[in-house]
Amino acid sequence: MKNRTKERLLFTALGIPTVICLIAFFWIVYILSMGIGTLNWKILTTSVLQGGMFEMIVGTMYLLLGAAGISGPIGVLAAVYLVEYAPSGKLTRIIDQAINNLAGVPSIVIGLFGYTFFCTQLGLGISLAAGWLTLALMMLPIVIRGSEEAIKMVPVSFKEAALALGTTKWKAISSTTLPAAAPGVVTSVILGIARVAGETAAILFTSCVLITRGLPKSPLDPVMTLSYNIFVKIVALGAPPEDVFGTALVLFLIVASLALSAIILRTHYRRKQPWLR
Amino acid sequence: MKREKMKTISSYFVRLKSQPIEIVLFICASFSIVLLFLMLIFVAKEGAFAFSTIGTDLLFGQTWDIKSHKYGGFPMLYGSFMVTSGSLLISIPLGVCTAIFIAEVLPFSLKDPVKSIIELLASIPSVIYGFIGVIFLAPMISSFFGLPNGEIALTASLILALMTIPTIVGISAEIIGSVPKDYKEAALALGATKWQTIRDVVLPLSKSGILASIMLGFGRAIGETVAVLMVAGNVAKVPTPPWNYLASVYTIPGVIAMQMGEAPFGSLEQGALFGLGLILFIITFIVNTLADVIVKKAPVKGGA
Repeated sequence: MKNRTKERLLFTALGIPTVICLIAFFWIVYILSMGIGTLNWKILTTSVLQGGMFEMIVGTMYLLLGAAGISGPIGVLAAVYLVEYAPSGKLTRIIDQAINNLAGVPSIVIGLFGYTFFCTQLGLGISLAAGWLTLALMMLPIVIRGSEEAIKMVPVSFKEAALALGTTKWKAISSTTLPAAAPGVVTSVILGIARVAGETAAILFTSCVLITRGLPKSPLDPVMTLSYNIFVKIVALGAPPEDVFGTALVLFLIVASLALSAIILRTHYRRKQPWLR
Repeated sequence: MKREKMKTISSYFVRLKSQPIEIVLFICASFSIVLLFLMLIFVAKEGAFAFSTIGTDLLFGQTWDIKSHKYGGFPMLYGSFMVTSGSLLISIPLGVCTAIFIAEVLPFSLKDPVKSIIELLASIPSVIYGFIGVIFLAPMISSFFGLPNGEIALTASLILALMTIPTIVGISAEIIGSVPKDYKEAALALGATKWQTIRDVVLPLSKSGILASIMLGFGRAIGETVAVLMVAGNVAKVPTPPWNYLASVYTIPGVIAMQMGEAPFGSLEQGALFGLGLILFIITFIVNTLADVIVKKAPVKGGA
């Protein structure tokens, strides 16, 4: 009996850090929610030049959609290769290692690389396109890992049934495995978007400016984003933090809703598809 | 016999027909290697110029002053390690305890919600963490310690700890959760209490995975830019005494982010910043590779 109470106490003690983490999260949400007073529909839809944040919101969307458009297809195909085709050899191990390493590269280094390679070497300059490529680079490992997991979860019998009907391997995969894995793949792309939605360091010197005239008209124009605005106003201009309360809240809402929808999608499809755990 | 031959030939054609796709897939998969290589080459190329001009001063020089062209990176290197170790001192105990609690103690129905919240914590952008630090934590700390300025190494460490906890919890909880049930049941059947099972069976099996998660957390912390930059105060000087967490510090990613924009293209200043970036790249590369090796050699592996 004494042992039991001791154990109870111990487990409660273990729970305290967990509670601290949860409190930290809700505390962050609470602080941000205090910025709600500075927001209204008009600020969201008026131009940055008139003190709104319209171009920053749309600019962030432009960046994210472009980056997802690049890293999504490449990531999914890479995942198909790794799960279905890759022979178990040295090269496959190196690829696997490279993906993990890419995921661990600090965003500022990715930014430096984007600056020398995309902006200077490829001549894209400080532009939307350079931002797409830089952010795609950051998303790629997340999309590959998520898609791999989704593809692995589809029973081999699906593919085998198609193969037994005489199709080619690719046809079998693309017509049975991939559709079944689609929800998981989409989730991984959304998760990737959520991860880079508030990214600042990587786009700092590759695609952002504080103020420009309107939205980018071509992929070679620079773009205004929410994260960059918060960063520059506080760090470079030394503005009081209250000035960017609304911007921070909008950015948080975008990121949180993306991440939350990815989590919900994942749980939903895990339940719905009986072959998944 | 003839039929057999036909079959091999036709299967060969089928394979050939499907091969273009295989090549495309392979190219997509090898993008990661190519990009990593390009990254090393391009960052090293720019950084090498600084190393050849400045030499080891870029690593060990004490003063960083653009006006007098002094590029000594030691204060930043020190600041980075100071802030990172400070954050790990907080996040390792908190993170590992949380991981054990989630994987072993929490009832099944609560596991997913708690994990999801930790995952949300991981997806909050660093600029928002920085904002929280500036608007709330820094004023709080400055009034608590009676300092004129709350933007110090301690604030940066606290914010960074919050950011590294999800990395440590996510990977550790997965590894701890994947310890085979048989092992635990065997221990319980021998009369061990739940805590004894965790201490003597679960933790020894998952300790290398936990170590790897800590290393990945280190990698994330040392490369963190914006959040740290916003709350660390950015003074390019080793604090006196060196363990003074109430002093402002500058970090490697911080100085790159702050000064890259103003550095003229192709200048020594830009080279020096790339040189620091190269150092950061190499540090994180080594740490991440080691973490990977440890995970691969671990007795239990996570599901992912």
